[in-house]
Amino acid sequence: MSVDLEKILRPIPAEMAPYEPKYMLLASGEAAVVRAVDRDEIPDLLKHVEPLLHVERDYYDVVASRVYAELLSHYQYRFQDQYVLAVQVDGELAAIVNGRQVTPTLGLSLHTLALRRGLRVGAHAFAAKMEYHFDVLGHDEVLIVAESPIGFRRWMIEYKLEKRFEIPHELGGVPSWALTRELFDAARSSLVVGRRPVPPEILEKAMEAILPPSDPPTPALDPLSATRSKYDPTATALMVERWAMEGGMQDA
Amino acid sequence: MAREIYAYKCRLCDTMHYPFRMVCKNCKQNDFFEFDTVPLPKEGKLLTFTRVYNLPPQYEVPTLGLGIVELENGMRMLGQLDIDEPKAGMAVKGSVEIVRQETYDGYYGMVFRSA
Amino acid sequence: MRDVYVAGIGITTFTRLEFALSEIASYASMMALKDAGITEVDQVYVANMGAPRVNHQTALASAVVDSLSLTPAGAAAIENGPASGGSAIKAGFQAVASGMDDVVLVVGVERMREVNGLEATDFVATLTHPIAEYIYGVTLPAHAAMFTRLYMDKYGVTERHLAMVGVKNQNAALNNEWAHLQQEISLEGILDSPEAMTNNPYVAEPLRFFDACPVSDGGAAIILVSEEKAKELGRPLIKISGVGQATDTHAVHEREEPTDLLAVRKAAADAFEMAGLTPDDVDVAELHDAFTILEIVESEEVGFFPKGEGHIALEKGETALGGKIPINVGGGLKGRGHPVGATGVAQAWEIVTQLRGDGGERQVEGANVGFTCNFGGFGNNVVCLTFEKEA
Repeated sequence: MSVDLEKILRPIPAEMAPYEPKYMLLASGEAAVVRAVDRDEIPDLLKHVEPLLHVERDYYDVVASRVYAELLSHYQYRFQDQYVLAVQVDGELAAIVNGRQVTPTLGLSLHTLALRRGLRVGAHAFAAKMEYHFDVLGHDEVLIVAESPIGFRRWMIEYKLEKRFEIPHELGGVPSWALTRELFDAARSSLVVGRRPVPPEILEKAMEAILPPSDPPTPALDPLSATRSKYDPTATALMVERWAMEGGMQDA
Repeated sequence: MAREIYAYKCRLCDTMHYPFRMVCKNCKQNDFFEFDTVPLPKEGKLLTFTRVYNLPPQYEVPTLGLGIVELENGMRMLGQLDIDEPKAGMAVKGSVEIVRQETYDGYYGMVFRSA
Repeated sequence: MRDVYVAGIGITTFTRLEFALSEIASYASMMALKDAGITEVDQVYVANMGAPRVNHQTALASAVVDSLSLTPAGAAAIENGPASGGSAIKAGFQAVASGMDDVVLVVGVERMREVNGLEATDFVATLTHPIAEYIYGVTLPAHAAMFTRLYMDKYGVTERHLAMVGVKNQNAALNNEWAHLQQEISLEGILDSPEAMTNNPYVAEPLRFFDACPVSDGGAAIILVSEEKAKELGRPLIKISGVGQATDTHAVHEREEPTDLLAVRKAAADAFEMAGLTPDDVDVAELHDAFTILEIVESEEVGFFPKGEGHIALEKGETALGGKIPINVGGGLKGRGHPVGATGVAQAWEIVTQLRGDGGERQVEGANVGFTCNFGGFGNNVVCLTFEKEA
């Protein structure tokens, strides 16, 4: 490919102010760091997103495949003004959020992908990205959609979003919802947390490397998979597999 | 016409019940349906309350106020609260309104506001 | 009346289980049958609350008994809200005690995560009074929250006490490989840090996220047998010595003293009376902590502590492993999970595990007498059981 053609294909980036890292304690008492991810680090994220393509529950497959495409095209200079934030606990990747700037006053939320569950990591990550849109980039409004019921409940109900159904969202062209500055300020005290600056030793650990998530979501066992096997039409193979996973029968 | 929610008064021993039951809790003597209906008072004081954040899917509101009210006649009832900052013991006044909507059907119940 | 013994126990992991309901029940049952060393039973009771509504399946007992190839044994399902498990054990107890049956399989099962959380909340809320409660949007967390507020005002229970129960039970679940929640939490993370109120938001004021049990799938099973059969099988002799069940008004507001749980008080007193025991004799207890407040209140109503002093005992660590009366050492509903129909049987499973001395890291030393309280509705249908180890 000629250099000139690449120039045409690459978007011209807008100026976007950097996101200053912050940290918060999770319910477990562990410290989670939220920080911006550089373009160079995108491949480190991709390898932890890829396994989630095959998690066919809670819309992990849909969200992960779209996040993968967004991150990859961001890395390959095929995305206009995308930013990526990561949440890390002790270096381990716990969540990824991304979005983009549409105009200097309008932001667009892309995805929130939680790799650690049960500790509201995803909620903290989403709040951080809204903080970036309003407090750092100075947007007046952010367009949002949810792909999973979990996301819908979190974002639409907790933040009491307004309808912007006349605007098709970039994710699949579905009707948009919007978080305005006013709504964000109202939610700020209860939903947006975090402390700055991040203590140096915690920040260093996070910046050093994006470590693999210790307990990522895994594919659901498909109770019908064995019935599809020509060798085992009765599904017993799957039950046996399950017992093996659980350590077998207790000795009588 | 103002809508009412009814208590049920036993014809044998005058004990009041809400909600409806088939046999009087006090005398346990009634034959079939021996109760008179008596409108529940609308005024009372708030005994306890909550604000619920995880609602059944039929509700399109993010949160819902609920409380148990001690009515003027000493009976208690549960109702929805339309009060920003409820306090235990505060005076409240109820009105009968739609409290749940299932497709086209509205269900009436008591909604309390500060008196 | 004949004595009744527990000869076998089985359980599945409590989590999201993507298996047919009857398979979950069968899996727990097979473990119990294998544990007892038997392949035939006289009667099967299946405890379940939601199969017709959540899983679109009726006559569950017929499916389970056939799946286990236990036909032509008698089989029936028992639906009694969250107290289904305890009620099924009571039915099994009666069958053996009466002399009608020698071997009864009691299995509790629930698969609630087939639907999303809001629908699961609505499904459980259908146990409330249809006219005076359900139509208002009342959920079980709402009932528990209103009750908690009264308890806080009257007895000085605070959010810290509730969080302490949550931390105790959720962290206890780390010692139970079958438990749903395998995530450690800390008081700092859910109560004290600047982020705690966001980590731990209200579900129904004043109850927070970590005050409530998770929505779980799972099954648990026990085998009840006569004394003669128990001795023949040669498993440790664990006797069900007391059974108590009591009910209270359907609508919560009709109760004379709104901070009392009279059904718990009566069911526990009846169970202790039948067994000839007192609350002080109990070495290990499973209480129905669907919400953290319930562990505190039940510990008072069943007689472990005077009314209004449960939270003080909690502060002193008397309810933790190693305390005066360890409660929910396997995580309770809060940590183990709460598949509603299975919970009563899972409580019995935990107590039998303890009395056999198989508790591993969560073993209560020298446990000889165990107690369970299975709490249905919002305290309107309660089953209490006492278990004793015989040398």
